[in-house]
Amino acid sequence: MEKKLGVYICKGCGIGDALDIEHLEGQVPAKIEVKHTHDFLCGPEGVDLIKKDIEQGVNTVVVAACSRRVLHDVFNFGPNVIVERVNLREGVVWSHKPREGAEPPEGMSVADDWIQEMAVDYVKMGIAEAEKINLPEPYLETIDKKVLVLGGGVTGLTAALEVAKAGYEATVIERGSSVGGFAAKLRKQTPTSSPYEVPQTPVIQDIIKEAEAHPKVSIRTETEVARIFGAPGLFDVTFKSAGTKSKWDIPESPEETEGAEAPPEPPGAEEATPENPANILAKNPEAERFGAVILATGWKPWTPDEPLTEQAETQSEEAKEGEEAKEGEEPKEPPPSYDHLGLGTLPDVVTNVAFEEMAAAGKITRPSDGKPAASVAFVQCPGRGSDEDFPYASSITSMVALKQAKYVREDNPDAKAYIIYQHMRTPGQNEYFYKAIQQDEGIFLTKGDVVGVSKNGDGLILEANDTLLGDNISLNVDMVVLGTGMVPLTKDEPVLNLAYRQGPGFRDLDLFDGYADSNYICFPYETRRTGIYVAGTARRSMGIGECMEDAAGAALKAIQCIESANRGMAVHPRSGDVTYPDFFFQRCTQCKRCTEECPFGALDDDEKGTPLPNPTRCRRCGTCMGACPERIIGFADYNIDSIGSMVKAFDVPDDDEEKFRILVLACENDAYPALDIAAMNGLDYSSLVRVIPVRCLGSVNVVWIKDALSRGVDGILTIGCKFGDDYQCHFIKGSELFSIRTDKIGEALKSLALEKERVQQVQIAIDEYDKLPGIINGFVEEMVNIGPNPFKGW
Amino acid sequence: MADSKRVEPDLKFVKDLKAMGADTLKKCYQCATCSVVCPISPEERPFPRKEMIAAQWGLQDRLVGNMDVWLCHYCNDCSTYCPRGARPGDVLNAARALAVRAYAWPACLGRIVPDARYWWLLFAIPAAIFLVILGAAGHLHIPEGEIEFAKFFPTILVDSIFVPLAVLWIPITFGIGIKRFMNEIHTNAVADGRAKRKDIVLPDFLRSLVCVVPTILRHSKFEQCTQNKDRYIPHLLVLFSFLGLFIVTNVFFVALYILHSPGPYSQLNPVKILANASAVALILGAVWLINNRLKDRGENVGRGSYFDWSLLILVLGLGVTGLLSELTRLVHLPAIAYPMYFVHLVFVFCLFAYLPFGKLAHLVYRTLAMAYSHYSGREPCE
Repeated sequence: MEKKLGVYICKGCGIGDALDIEHLEGQVPAKIEVKHTHDFLCGPEGVDLIKKDIEQGVNTVVVAACSRRVLHDVFNFGPNVIVERVNLREGVVWSHKPREGAEPPEGMSVADDWIQEMAVDYVKMGIAEAEKINLPEPYLETIDKKVLVLGGGVTGLTAALEVAKAGYEATVIERGSSVGGFAAKLRKQTPTSSPYEVPQTPVIQDIIKEAEAHPKVSIRTETEVARIFGAPGLFDVTFKSAGTKSKWDIPESPEETEGAEAPPEPPGAEEATPENPANILAKNPEAERFGAVILATGWKPWTPDEPLTEQAETQSEEAKEGEEAKEGEEPKEPPPSYDHLGLGTLPDVVTNVAFEEMAAAGKITRPSDGKPAASVAFVQCPGRGSDEDFPYASSITSMVALKQAKYVREDNPDAKAYIIYQHMRTPGQNEYFYKAIQQDEGIFLTKGDVVGVSKNGDGLILEANDTLLGDNISLNVDMVVLGTGMVPLTKDEPVLNLAYRQGPGFRDLDLFDGYADSNYICFPYETRRTGIYVAGTARRSMGIGECMEDAAGAALKAIQCIESANRGMAVHPRSGDVTYPDFFFQRCTQCKRCTEECPFGALDDDEKGTPLPNPTRCRRCGTCMGACPERIIGFADYNIDSIGSMVKAFDVPDDDEEKFRILVLACENDAYPALDIAAMNGLDYSSLVRVIPVRCLGSVNVVWIKDALSRGVDGILTIGCKFGDDYQCHFIKGSELFSIRTDKIGEALKSLALEKERVQQVQIAIDEYDKLPGIINGFVEEMVNIGPNPFKGW
Repeated sequence: MADSKRVEPDLKFVKDLKAMGADTLKKCYQCATCSVVCPISPEERPFPRKEMIAAQWGLQDRLVGNMDVWLCHYCNDCSTYCPRGARPGDVLNAARALAVRAYAWPACLGRIVPDARYWWLLFAIPAAIFLVILGAAGHLHIPEGEIEFAKFFPTILVDSIFVPLAVLWIPITFGIGIKRFMNEIHTNAVADGRAKRKDIVLPDFLRSLVCVVPTILRHSKFEQCTQNKDRYIPHLLVLFSFLGLFIVTNVFFVALYILHSPGPYSQLNPVKILANASAVALILGAVWLINNRLKDRGENVGRGSYFDWSLLILVLGLGVTGLLSELTRLVHLPAIAYPMYFVHLVFVFCLFAYLPFGKLAHLVYRTLAMAYSHYSGREPCE
């Protein structure tokens, strides 16, 4: 498309007062014929001004006014007009007061020439970018809108019903011979409705009936997934009978470890044709197509045989590699022993799961002799000096103990139920349940450190120290019930069996104790595999009520994904973005960095290692673009050239020792908004910096940094989200991957006799905007101390 | 393990506490706000947090044998600030009622006196005794002429009932209760290490007893209450009116039997003035206390149970019937005066005879607990 640029400079919101607008307009290259200034560009008159020019043929609009984060609806001129925003308001005027002692330049109506220079640079950068970007065209394919639900428990069935009620078809796959999951094995469930006080009849039977009767829900029991091939809207799923082997089972792959260089040849490479099931990337031509997947595979009971040691070790290793500072913070203790509780050796010591099954079967009796249990102790924490709960325990285990204590009292009005806890967690409405259960005269609660359970005649003695009773106490009880936790099924098996280059399951699950989760707060239900949404106890321990809410959330998310894929749009976090990465394959060297680094496994590859993009898996973060050493990956409106041109567009003075030039690359998810917020709050930072927003630090290609340094830019500050175990990166790995690249850049800089401090990365959250001026000014000061870039003026 | 204490909750004790006005005790979640806000609890092992969990667990020995439940003066600051509405003040109040019952001898009276179902019986006993005696003496009619209560109920008959009550019944029954009480709190104090010696050193204890008397007479503990501060004056009034009436009764006893000067006495007689003033103070104090109990402090805080109300009514009835007897005598209304006197004597009987079994026992138990607290070094004297 032949570009015709128009540049529009707004004078409102204090821009006209702080800058010499006439001078600014004069700096727009002469080749651009259409340029206007306006007092109030976002007002109807201002917008009309632009619209008239568009009618006259302008198709690329550079709006030099406020931040791109505001008024995007006002400055939206339809799908055929490129809009480039130059941030004069938050980026220049609001965030920069004239320096003390700065003399107003002669013949200019501005108090500080540094601020004017900043504005001029930003306008030039905006024009440079506008010249390089194009209108995106969505990637469209014919997709399937069915939703596959893995797991036929309360979450899975509810999710299927929610999908069906929204008008889409759902298929539920259940491994067992009947649906309902653990919810169908309960005597009663904790309350899900007001007044939240008494255990209620489980809702599961109604849900099963409704799901079985719904015409848009189909249920297959004794079925498992052998392989899921494809991408959102295009998942080709191969099923098999539960517990059997299938030729389409995902082959065991040794290359699942992230970051490690993939072996040159995948296993069985000689026969790894796209048709051979031994190839993880092979597609079963007879597979069934689905649009999205809801993972509701739930949990299995924790047993003392599987302490959390394995993962604790990997975590501590990672901590060593990652942040040195964190080292030694929590020395890992040897795995806890549970022998003192008598589970497995004393028949009357059972887990809460076994107790629930007993209670559902009838009156509660002692397993050892079948006599009614007249006193039962519920132990919530293994004790012995530690206040750690059982692994995978949660508020659910607290709620279950309260509920089961009530069973004891229901079965026998003279019975006693004790709950010995270190943490009683009854969040939200559950507090009403706690209050109600507490009212029962025969239920006795105390905090306490359980020392041991031993045999006493035909009963048991439970000893606990440091109780609220002020002593170490011992209790005569008939049974002891341990408040053990719920282990997600995803902890030990891939479950999904994805035909993805990055492996059949989720990555980095050890960060979440095996739970399939990625960005829990910002994007619940999301996983690191686009189009696969997780709900219920596969996501975290939760009760039936929460599972049902969760199921509805994941169902809507699955539908959103399908409809987004149908329109060629990203689902999240860049919802509605129709760009997707474009590869110039002729120059690809098959280095596989993009395939490896993509946080979402969007890229597979062919037998040679050439990436095979799956646009509907893509979240448009640009990590592949940042990773590519050949710089052959880009988006229509965001690419190596567009940002690279901005880096080259601003002035780098070489005749003034004071005028350092600093490039700031700010992540547009947190850092760039934080800069805007800082400006809105009147916070001031150095006018020597030039800020360029990026999709994610992961998309930052090293070439931009090289270009900037070779132009004489004195320092480059990259501001992104927090990374590590409790990352806040919207694309999970972006800022972390960039930090690895920064380290490598540091070595390259040394070889050029440049200080590695000239390129730095800081981590910031959006609410830390008040720290930004200090960070930026501190960086500028550090560069001043190091001295100017010796490449200046070359 | 050797150092762990066997704990066996008693469901019935929990129910009993609830029935005594501590119906909210199970609401406690052990945050200890109560112990923090209590203006009179000692720093070490403060009450009522620990009493609350003992109540929830139905551990009778930790409440009934615990001097701390008596150190509580029912300020109800705890109940007001309790985030759960567990009303610790009322729980301790109920614990005191059950403690009185536990020490009572004969035990049956310990059960009957605080039981609302038998209120009529308590009055019927003295009424029946009086009727039988008066009937036997041929006095069951309203005498003619100037009103003199001795004409209706001869002083010798009155004293033949009340003197044994005062010198035999109360010392024996209450003596047994007090002995049990002292044993229990001492044993408990020894068990948790607060008392150093196995036996109570009597002279030291008596010194402690003397030392707490000013605290009681000044009502200094009551004065520290914030929520229930308005109880300070009426309670003081009632205490001093009882002291006044005690003095008056003894003076008149001496006047009758030693000076042989039977009443009625002149209204200007200083002793008579003291008697009248005490009667007025008693009624005023009782009405004031009742009003205080009825105040809305939210969530039924400080209402008390039958155990508390029976004493309030008794005190009020005692004052009102006494004063009305006197007034109707002075305005010569024999048809009212004589029956009123009869009723008054019934009230007096109830006050004396049921002293060790009802709320009034706190007069002795709290005094002893305060003395023991000082004796064991838990609290200093003023």
